[in-house]
Amino acid sequence: MDISEKIIESTMEIFSTMVMMEVSVAGPPLQESGTLHDTITGMIGLAGTHKGVLAIHIPNTVAMAITSSFLGMEVDSINDDVRDAVGELANMLGGNVKTILSQNGRDIELSLPSTIAGHEYGFQAATDVEMIILPFKTENGEFLIELQLEK
Amino acid sequence: MDIGQDIVNAATDVFSTMLMIDLVVGEPVEGAGGEVTSNISSMLGLGGDIRGMLAVHCPAAVAMAITSGFLGMDVDTLNEDVKDAIGEIANMIAGNLKIAFAGYGVKVELAIPTSVVGESYRVGGMLGAKRVAVPFGMESGQFLVELKYIVNG
Repeated sequence: MDISEKIIESTMEIFSTMVMMEVSVAGPPLQESGTLHDTITGMIGLAGTHKGVLAIHIPNTVAMAITSSFLGMEVDSINDDVRDAVGELANMLGGNVKTILSQNGRDIELSLPSTIAGHEYGFQAATDVEMIILPFKTENGEFLIELQLEK
Repeated sequence: MDIGQDIVNAATDVFSTMLMIDLVVGEPVEGAGGEVTSNISSMLGLGGDIRGMLAVHCPAAVAMAITSGFLGMDVDTLNEDVKDAIGEIANMIAGNLKIAFAGYGVKVELAIPTSVVGESYRVGGMLGAKRVAVPFGMESGQFLVELKYIVNG
């Protein structure tokens, strides 16, 4: 199974067990995440034998729906709960990617997760990286998962 | 361990060595900050004994001035060169922090820098994380170097 397939598998597992939402692959991998509008990004760094960044880019409406499902409470704005939930999603995905990339998961350390949210921004690797960008869909809309790995 | 001082040392070293710029050093601020107004933020994760996220937040004018200094040529848009340059600044500051932390027996590994560019965005961290931020001044304006972190249990 290649990395993309394992990321897809992890994402579906996390969403069904922790978020209690159905997700599926929305289409083929993308070349870039591009300019993000009214979106919130959760990101986490991977360090050690493999260096990289894992990011999940979620449009605001989808992020609020995910947070409501995750926390079991209604959410109607991008507030601290949403930032926390998105950061935690990045944390969980990062944990799975750590295991995917390293046999015992022990040679890779996870950074602190962080979020970026805004009306319009771009998210870009600043070094030469291999990128995997996968679109997913939920009943509330689509989101992207982006893995950048140092070459 | 005085992280504010470590950040000051790390950044002033990078700027004086690589860019021949003597930064004006502001007061380190601890704890939750307000929203940071910037046009480009380069972020780099740290993992190991500490789980952290280092960010360098710059307004456009400062980012372009830094990039011009790096490349030896004028830069007037937030283009690829600027994203790479500020990413590299974050990388070098983080590299210095890694060495400083090692001096206390705190081991961290670095991830890779990512640049966020936009007119209006807000960077948030994990609730419960500590935060230290230091403002620095150059001729073209101020930028902020911020470390959010938790000690790994």
